[in-house]
Amino acid sequence: MSQHDRYDAIVAGAGHNGLTTACYLAKAGLKVLVVEKNDWIGGAAVSRALHDGWTYSNCSYVCSLLRREIVRDLELPKYGLQVIPYEGGASFTKGGDYFAYMSDHDALRREIARHSLRDVDAYERFSQTVIRQCRFIRPFLLRNAPDPTSMKPRDISELLFLVKQAHDLGSKELGETLRFWSMSIGDFLDEHFESDLIKAHIAGAGIIGTGLGVYSPGTAYVLLHHYMGDVDGTIGAWGFARGGMGAISNALGACFEEAGGKIVMGSGVDQFLVRDGKVTGVALENGDEYHAPIVASNMDVKRTFLQHTETKPLPDDFTKAVKRFKIRGSSGKLNIALDALPDFPAAPKGASFLRGDMHCSESLNELERAYDDWKEGRWSQNPYFDMLIPSQIDPTMAPPGKHMMTVFVQYAPYDLEVDGVRAGTNWNDATRKAFSDCVFDKLEQACPDIRSKALHAEIRTPWDIENEVGLTEGNIFQGELTFDQLLFNRPVPGYAQYDTPIDGMYIVGSSAHPGGGVMAAPGANAAKEILRNIGKRGAMSGYAA
Amino acid sequence: MSTKTYDAIVIGGGHNGLAAAATLARKGKSVCVIERNETCGGMARNAAFTNGSLAAQIAHLLYNLNPKVAKELGIGSAKAPLQTKELPTVSLQEDGNHVVIRGTSASLSTGAAHPEAAAFDALISRLTRFAALLGQMSTKSPPALEGGLMDLATLGELAGLAKLGFDLKRMGKKEMREFLRVILSNVYDLILDDLEDSPLAGAMAADAVRGAYAGPRSPGTVFSLMYRLGQGGGAQLPMGGMGAVSNAFEAAARAAGVEILTGKGVARVLIEGDRAAGVELDDGGSLQARAVLSNAGPNATMMLAGPEHYDVEAVRRMRNQRCKGTAAKVNLLLKSAPQCTGLNADLTAGRILIAPSATYVERAFNPAKYGELPKDPVIELVIPSLTDASIVKDGQHVLSAVVSFVPYGLEGGWDEAAQQRDQALTLATLEKYAPGISDLVMEQQVMSPADIEAKTGAPGGHWHHAEMGIDQILTVRPANGTAHYRFGPEGYYLCGAGAHPGGDVTGVAGRNRAFQLLKDGVL
Ligand SMILES: Cc1cc2nc3c(=O)[nH]c(=O)nc-3n(C[C@H](O)[C@H](O)[C@H](O)COP(=O)(O)OP(=O)(O)OC[C@H]3O[C@@H](n4cnc5c(N)ncnc54)[C@H](O)[C@@H]3O)c2cc1C
Ligand SMILES: Cc1cc2nc3c(=O)[nH]c(=O)nc-3n(C[C@H](O)[C@H](O)[C@H](O)COP(=O)(O)OP(=O)(O)OC[C@H]3O[C@@H](n4cnc5c(N)ncnc54)[C@H](O)[C@@H]3O)c2cc1C
Repeated sequence: MSQHDRYDAIVAGAGHNGLTTACYLAKAGLKVLVVEKNDWIGGAAVSRALHDGWTYSNCSYVCSLLRREIVRDLELPKYGLQVIPYEGGASFTKGGDYFAYMSDHDALRREIARHSLRDVDAYERFSQTVIRQCRFIRPFLLRNAPDPTSMKPRDISELLFLVKQAHDLGSKELGETLRFWSMSIGDFLDEHFESDLIKAHIAGAGIIGTGLGVYSPGTAYVLLHHYMGDVDGTIGAWGFARGGMGAISNALGACFEEAGGKIVMGSGVDQFLVRDGKVTGVALENGDEYHAPIVASNMDVKRTFLQHTETKPLPDDFTKAVKRFKIRGSSGKLNIALDALPDFPAAPKGASFLRGDMHCSESLNELERAYDDWKEGRWSQNPYFDMLIPSQIDPTMAPPGKHMMTVFVQYAPYDLEVDGVRAGTNWNDATRKAFSDCVFDKLEQACPDIRSKALHAEIRTPWDIENEVGLTEGNIFQGELTFDQLLFNRPVPGYAQYDTPIDGMYIVGSSAHPGGGVMAAPGANAAKEILRNIGKRGAMSGYAA
Repeated sequence: MSTKTYDAIVIGGGHNGLAAAATLARKGKSVCVIERNETCGGMARNAAFTNGSLAAQIAHLLYNLNPKVAKELGIGSAKAPLQTKELPTVSLQEDGNHVVIRGTSASLSTGAAHPEAAAFDALISRLTRFAALLGQMSTKSPPALEGGLMDLATLGELAGLAKLGFDLKRMGKKEMREFLRVILSNVYDLILDDLEDSPLAGAMAADAVRGAYAGPRSPGTVFSLMYRLGQGGGAQLPMGGMGAVSNAFEAAARAAGVEILTGKGVARVLIEGDRAAGVELDDGGSLQARAVLSNAGPNATMMLAGPEHYDVEAVRRMRNQRCKGTAAKVNLLLKSAPQCTGLNADLTAGRILIAPSATYVERAFNPAKYGELPKDPVIELVIPSLTDASIVKDGQHVLSAVVSFVPYGLEGGWDEAAQQRDQALTLATLEKYAPGISDLVMEQQVMSPADIEAKTGAPGGHWHHAEMGIDQILTVRPANGTAHYRFGPEGYYLCGAGAHPGGDVTGVAGRNRAFQLLKDGVL
């Protein structure tokens, strides 16, 4: 039986960006429906109970990028969102030493000095540069990317804004900015530091989620993408959402429903319905149909157009550009239920940095080799990981006395190569287990008793992430964050302002500017664009407007 | 030593130093070039085998000689004669199914049509159009950032940018968008979006990264491919070897009245009151001048004047220049012409590439990152004696090979054993495509990046003196704040490959700096 409900707007996908768009539209007075294929909302910002008593933030796991303007506009704290910053982190060596990052300035200086006296000053220079770059980029996150080929007054004024910001930097800074944006994180760190361990500790942020190596140009920007957020105004700080990352999506969902919106879960969009170049609604896999003159897709641009839209009426150029949009998956994840806190023999008892992000990589070359494996269709034999135990700060994640560990692993290929054949289907229980063994082996470098403390582990490969979350190829950003896919190039040159060749249809997920991460900026910017296009620009209020 | 005060002294008689000197002398300035080696030419010289046969010591083909510079200096005229011949490119495949590239057309070595000929034509034509646009920038000063974007003083350069923008717009929205998308991306994806991964793709990938510390998957390599396509992408073989090209530059300089001192190195630049005033030679002598240009690498150029004349930032930037050389040279003297499997004599005389796929090129780069030799190197080779018999004796032949991804910073250092491994690797690779070639070898010349640095002073033995990454080009070449006007003290200029627009045998860097100096009113 098909329904024929009519809405002002439909959002396909209840990821945090889709929900953000939905919230702003509903608050502007539109009748909005969200359809989600899974039985839960949140996409890659989700909390799930896969082992009795434990909560896993089973994709994204830490929060910083979420724009505070949006948090305020949508009053997310009112709907239960609480972000708790964590401090510090560490990289452990095979030899039983570590480098600890601490937010206490003096302690940090002493710790750096323990590894290299020279690097103490280097660190000051490094952090000043990064903070300056963050300040430069942050104003662009909630703005549209101007189309440089366009003569429209809006595009020209956005371009002028860019020129003005660049000009205000001053000549020297402008040159440094151009350079920083185009450098590799490896070269950038080599310029500053001498300690391999410190370099490796920082470099991770340049490759997370990215199909590039630490020495690939462009990875300094990726680092920036991970530093440009904030928690409570501290730029570059990261925190845990209490109750897991799902708390963000749940707050958005509650806000949306209170504004009168409706969410339908459990059946995905089969087809976006298009007539005469105009979108008319969606047809779900279960046969239900919903109609609206506006449809916003929270799915990545490839999935939206190559799987759920009739491509024939689309311009060839557009389809070609969507096909060549790069969305290679490069990350895996282990979520581990722990019987007790593992032992970190290298660290002082109760050290604060154990509550932060922990790694076991010792040099840039080691990280670069990890990338070479990925290029050849293997998971890194000596992987980089970003490991945290959030239950130390957020006790809701595990039963009393027990703990939850999240291990983000770089690199794991989507098309795994087995016997000379590369395919996602090569990810099976045996290869998944081998991948997890490889990660556990390396975890033992930091906590030798990890295996005996692990009660359950959820192993997520790019293939699994695609199948569950719908992120094509398991790319965590819905499209790689390389120059050719940023700003006015994201996702498709000429369609970088959330619009598509189909009238009334929009891309509102991380495939759009300014890209991935739990940031909500694409969703908010898209809402603004939609309202403007239907002549309701004034209906959007708040900081993001 | 003379007590004369020259208008300008040029440190280094590489082709760029010579171009700078000739340009100034043609404007009536008195100029002296001081070259440490016995002959001018730097990386563009010949080397003789024991029997007198000649090979291009390092650089061997012209891809990018700038026609404007050649015309200005009269290169190729009676005063500075030079003859060249355009070669086709042959990209080898072990099984003998080679690909032949002439301009924008690709075919098979059997003469049959290449199944991807149309896609290749479209792709390479588009890139060549983009490259021509970018090429406009090469003979102009890079846009200055000094004084900020809105500063009136920079409007002249901004006009250059604006012209680029205008020309881009004229190509149409679609092309402009494509340009803005690909300009910063990686060549691997760009090629494989349109072509299968085959020797055709391999040839493009190899051309993009030859001399670079980058594999085709590194962002920025589309730019380096466009740089190489700046003059259309053809390869010219200079008759008489690459040395003949430098000889032509030298002749042009002499004809304009330039004095050239060879076999003398400059030990330091004399600075008086923050102004370049001359040079002191290795032998203790000194020469006076009102301006000094340096054809040496960026860091060496700073060190010649003394770091105390630069601010701390500039010193740090110079020391952090990315210039890890990745190209080695191997020259073979052969008893007779080698036979490549499935290749006729005509094509054997072409520019031959061993780069059977883009993936092969990327794999070849991997070990270089860790200071190791590649397992299967990328090679560009030419047998010039098949085209130009004058350089050899008794029906012998010379094979000139640029071996890519041989790292400057080889683990364990460049000792005798390392040289031999490099040489053996090259021969073993050649043997796969031209079985029996090893038996023809009479004599070999091997130059590792470390040797190249030792012989020419090129930092890291780097092809371009400084990596042509996006972070080291245009306004930030060689480094932020030094790209544009003088290099530190007044009257001191960088005129080699490390300056905008970069390396290859082009003559542009030298010629640009000469004009800049005149424009700055130093003389
Ligand atoms: C393993 C992993 C770790 C990460 N770690 C972090 C982190 O720590 N911090 C951070 O900031 N970011 C992190 N990220 C990135 C971040 O989570 C994502 O970029 C972001 O959540 C994407 O949000 P989105 O709303 O754009 O898309 P998604 O979350 O992908 O939402 C898309 C939604 O559409 C739904 N959908 C798909 N197909 C259909 C269909 N046919 N019909 C209906 N609905 C459909 C999906 O189920 C999903 O709910 C991580 C990502 C992953 C995968
Ligand atoms: C293996 C290899 C192969 C190459 N093949 C090609 C090719 O086929 N085609 C091509 O176009 N390009 C090629 N190149 C690149 C090309 O050779 C260079 O980019 C170009 O020659 C640089 O010219 P230049 O005049 O700027 O500097 P150089 O040629 O390096 O000249 C610098 C000169 O300065 C002199 N000098 C330095 N310091 C002093 C001092 N203190 N006192 C006196 N003299 C000094 C040096 O002796 C030298 O003669 C190749 C490079 C390499 C490494």
